[in-house]
Parts: sequence; structure tokens; C-alpha cells
Amino acid sequence: MNLYEYEAKEMFANFGIPVPPSTRISNAAEIKIKLSAAIKEAKLDFPVTLKCQVLSGGRGKAGGIKFAKDMCEAEAIADQLLKLKINDLPTQSLLVEPKLAIAQELYLAITLDRNQGCAIFIASAEGGIEIESSHNVVTSRIPYPYHSYVARDLAFALDLKGNALVKVADIANKLYQLFVSRDLDLAEINPLIITKSGEVVALDGKIIVNDDALDRQPYFKGWLEKHLDGLTSREQKSKLTGLNLVELKGNIGIICNGAGLVMGTMDMVKDFGGEPANFLDVGGGASRDKTLAALEIVHDNPDVKVILLNILGGITACDEIAHALTEFIKKYPKRQMVVRLQGNNQDLAEQILSNSGIKLFSDLEEAVQEAVSRSH
Amino acid sequence: MILVNKNTKVIVQGATGKMGATHTKLMLNYGTKIVAGVTPGKGGENVHGVPIYDTVKAAVEKTGADASVIFVPPYLAYDAASEALAAGIKLLVLITEGMPPLDTAKLVQEVKEHKAQLIGPNCPGIITPEQCLIGILPGSLFKAGPVGMVSKSGTLTYEIALALTKSNLGQSTCVGTGGDPIKGLDYQEVLALFEKDPETKAIVLIGEIGGSAEEEAAEFIKQNIKKPVVAFIAGQTAPPGKRMGHAGAIVSAGKGTAQSKIEALNSAGVKVAKTPKQVAICLSEILSPVSH
Repeated sequence: MNLYEYEAKEMFANFGIPVPPSTRISNAAEIKIKLSAAIKEAKLDFPVTLKCQVLSGGRGKAGGIKFAKDMCEAEAIADQLLKLKINDLPTQSLLVEPKLAIAQELYLAITLDRNQGCAIFIASAEGGIEIESSHNVVTSRIPYPYHSYVARDLAFALDLKGNALVKVADIANKLYQLFVSRDLDLAEINPLIITKSGEVVALDGKIIVNDDALDRQPYFKGWLEKHLDGLTSREQKSKLTGLNLVELKGNIGIICNGAGLVMGTMDMVKDFGGEPANFLDVGGGASRDKTLAALEIVHDNPDVKVILLNILGGITACDEIAHALTEFIKKYPKRQMVVRLQGNNQDLAEQILSNSGIKLFSDLEEAVQEAVSRSH
Repeated sequence: MILVNKNTKVIVQGATGKMGATHTKLMLNYGTKIVAGVTPGKGGENVHGVPIYDTVKAAVEKTGADASVIFVPPYLAYDAASEALAAGIKLLVLITEGMPPLDTAKLVQEVKEHKAQLIGPNCPGIITPEQCLIGILPGSLFKAGPVGMVSKSGTLTYEIALALTKSNLGQSTCVGTGGDPIKGLDYQEVLALFEKDPETKAIVLIGEIGGSAEEEAAEFIKQNIKKPVVAFIAGQTAPPGKRMGHAGAIVSAGKGTAQSKIEALNSAGVKVAKTPKQVAICLSEILSPVSH
């Protein structure tokens, strides 16, 4: 789950990482009220930065960050930015912060490294740019159990000195605490700035929460449905019902059990001259209800001419799938279907479907060929 | 054969749950030596005739088990696996899907410290056909023979095993390493074991998009593997930036594409088949002097 910048910064602040003072507005009318109040409380002052809150990268390049020197300018910019779409995703709100005097920009992040099988620090003495384009990237393996000296080593490797070294190491420690306490896939501060007065502040933040850990993180309860921007409506629905759907442009709806098998089946469809309409993995041990939900979601896509259901039952019982199919066909008798069922309880499934009019394929290539020819 | 054989003594952690019980029965039917189950609080009961113990330590003391298959829910998996390591189990097969990666990272480190081996998480398990099945693979699709298989995907492994078995190409051992980005055994360790195993005459490597394990395996094959390898790579039609079911199956920033993996494997002299059936055809050609 990707978080908005303001959410990431709230989490930074909760873990003691300095962030700029701010106020957030979700419509243009709010700017005058909230900004005046913040100025009155001496929290903020002009010039201010207005930043689009959007679940997409490339915000700066797309014009999603602007500066205002007075209220009149702030109002005009707010009105314009709230309407801005970045990579087709809507701006959810604006974060308003003071424009800080920057002496140096750094990059600091923690992520999981699949090759090393552990969390790593990624840092650079160049911040505010895409890390892929930085030439002085420092990475370091984070040991378990954790030790704070790792963060000091990291700050030292960035050529920091004195106060800056101590402060950056402290922030790296806190970022790690945040990373493990909240089960994150990524915690990124870019840029982490050193101001002209020597403060170290997280100027922008990005957090990705691990989806598998959401159920043990009460902090994120109810967040998922508000963080599904960028998915189609059917992909959103699938995600909330525990199905894995990725939609494509073709007309053959593909449902299998197991991610590798779905990908393999998609590739074969393409190779045999067809176009996959989607990837849908019902997962291992899919029940009748889950299978039915999967069939309905793919059926719901108006581009789908034929559904190719390919089940190779290991943990999945073919009879569960057969029951779902019977129900589905009763509901949608005109739906074009190609079904391949093989494995665990295959004989039971064959009995259940013997009067359904569905031809069962046992050979995968034959099933794919049939689906492709029906799609043209 | 590698890692498991007819003498491997297996305990089932989570044997009293729905999934654990179902697969305990299937593994017993296959002929696997399931010597005990473990569920805290259910010691003294039995599942399909298998005695249940409260702790792994108690189960190991009574039975001398050397492997454990774990079916517990994702947030309990790390603790269950650690318990097995502490009790001296040297082979863990972790079936559980949805284990948070930070837990897996801790576990991987503990496995190393105990000089043990971990298969998974989020994997179908391992089978040495006609001897020992640990996990959820459908045993009927496999038969004994000269082909070693290593794969990130469960059902794709079954698909290819089915194609091999139909072509009368049996398997020495098949290892499903799992679809998570952080995991135990990976291609290189399994490839090295197959290279040393006298019964394995050829190897099938099944991969998918995401990460760079296939590219590294290709480099490893170039340097270390003399036996013929045939590969199948899934996900050529996957759009970039989208996670394709498995937590690890994602092309990001142009890295981890099927194309890059296929090229790397080809350059290591590995044939990459386009369909499961083609895997069998390639292997038949390679092994024909041996198996016909």
C-alpha cells in the first residue's frame, strides 16, 4: 500500500524524525482559513510551498509543487493544483509548508533487498533526484538484531561531519524503528535536507506498507480502500475480496490457480495468437465462493469474449471449482467458456459437470488453442 | 535425488488445522514418513493416526524427526519455524503464503546460523517421486526418473511435471522454492545439489518475472553446471509495474523482465521452452540416449 506524503510525514513525526510544520487543505476555499490560522500561530509564514498529495511519482516534473509569496498567489495556485492530475491520478489534497533555506540535500531510504534477504539502507549525498540517477549511492546491509552504529557508519560514508553526522545517524535509526514497527516495504526520505541553520529535516517522504502485514498493523485499519488509486474499478474490487487481478487490453479472460500458471497461460495465449484481457489468480485452495467471485469479475469486463479457466489442482480441489462453474453457467448461460481442469478430485469435478454442457479439456495447449480461436 | 528420500522423517506443524490435516493425509497416502504433528494445546490427540505433540522439541525427542512442514497462519509462521530450528530440525518446508517479509528475513538468518535449510515460504514443497512428498504437490502427477526440477511457482511446476510424466520422463526431485522475494533455498543451491546428484541427468529451471535470481542462476550455470538445463520463464506478457500475484513477481524500473532472464539463460547455453510440452520435447531430445 502506497501512502501519501502527508501520511508518511505524520509517521516520521510520530517516530521523532523532524518534518516541516504544515497545514493541509482539500479544497480551494480552505486555503485562506487554514493558512491564516497557521500564520497566526506562528507555525507557518510566507513564502510557502504547495504540494499535490497524489499516489504517483513524478510530481515535481508534472508541476505538482509550487511556491507562493502571499495569500493572493497561494489561493490562485491552490485552485490550480487541486485540479491537477499526475499520471492520470487525481490530487487528493495539498500540503502547505514553509519554503526552507536548504544548504544540502541528501537521500535516505530503507527497503528490503531480495538478493541479500534483509533490510538495507540506501543513502546518497545527493538528494531530491531519482536515486537511480545518483552516482554516489551508499548501501549497507542492516543486521538483525539491530545496532545503531550501522547508522553512524552510513552517515560517515556520506562524508557528513559534526552535528550533521550525528543528526542524520539519529534519523536513520528512527527510520529503521519506523520501518520494522510498521512492517514497511519502503521508507524513503528524499530529500532529507540540512537547512542553512543546521537543522536536518525530512522534506519529502514516501512509504510503502507491506500488504501481507496489514492485518497485524492496527495503525492502518481501514486505509486500504482509500489507497487504491491507479487500479481499475474491477482491480480495486478484487483487491478488497482477496483476488489478484491485473487487467490488460485483450479479449481472453484468464483465470488460473497460482501466479506462475496464470502468467504461463497468458504467455501461451499470446504465443498462439490471442490477447489476454487479464491476469487473475484465484490462489491456492480456492473455495467455490472465491472461484465464483473470480468468474463474475472477469465476466463483468465488457471486452472479454471468452473466459479461459485453467485449474491444476494441488491444494485446490477441482470439485469446488466445478460447483462454482455450475452456478456461474446457470446465471450466465451465454458466456463463452473454455475450461481445463486437472488434478485433485478431478473425477468428482467431471461427474458434477457431466450434464453442464461444458467441455472439459485435460490438455493445456488444446484449451489455449480453443480459447484463442473463439476469441477471433 | 536431493534433500529428501524414503527415510526422511517428517513432522507437520499445524497438523490439526484444515489444511494441515488434509495434506497430512495426502502425504501419508503418498508414503511419506510422517512421524508426528505439532499443535500447542492438542498434545495427545492424533490426526489420521499421526500423534500430536504440544511442542516441536517433544515431537523430535520422541520420533527423531529431521524435517518439518509448516502449515500455520502467516503471522505465526516465523515463531513455528524458529521453534523447529531450536529443536534441531535441519530441513524446513514452509508452505504458508502471506508471511510478512520482515519475518522471513529474520528466519533466513536463523536458518543460516543453525546450518539448516529452508524451502519457502509461499511454496508447494518438495517431492522425490515414489519416495517422499513434503508439502502440497499433487503426487499423482509425478514419477521417479532422471530430471531434477527447481521452480518459483507451484502450479506451473505441476503443469511441467505432468508434461514430463506424460512423455515418460520421470523426476529425481522437484523443489518449489516459492514466489516470495525473500526466501530460503534459491536456484543456485538447488542447482548445485542436482549437479552432485548421480541420479539427476538433466535439470528443469522454472522461473518468472521479478528480481534477478534467474540471471544469477544463468551465471552460476555457466560456471558450475555441466548437466543439461532446460528452462521455462513465465510472465512475458506481464505489464511493467504490476505485481503478478506472487509478492516477488514484478517488473520495476525495467528490471526483472522475462526477456532479460531468457537472454541470460540462452547465453549460458540453457534452452528456454515456450510451453510446458516443449520442455518435455527438449528434454526427450537431450536424454534420448539414456531413457529410450
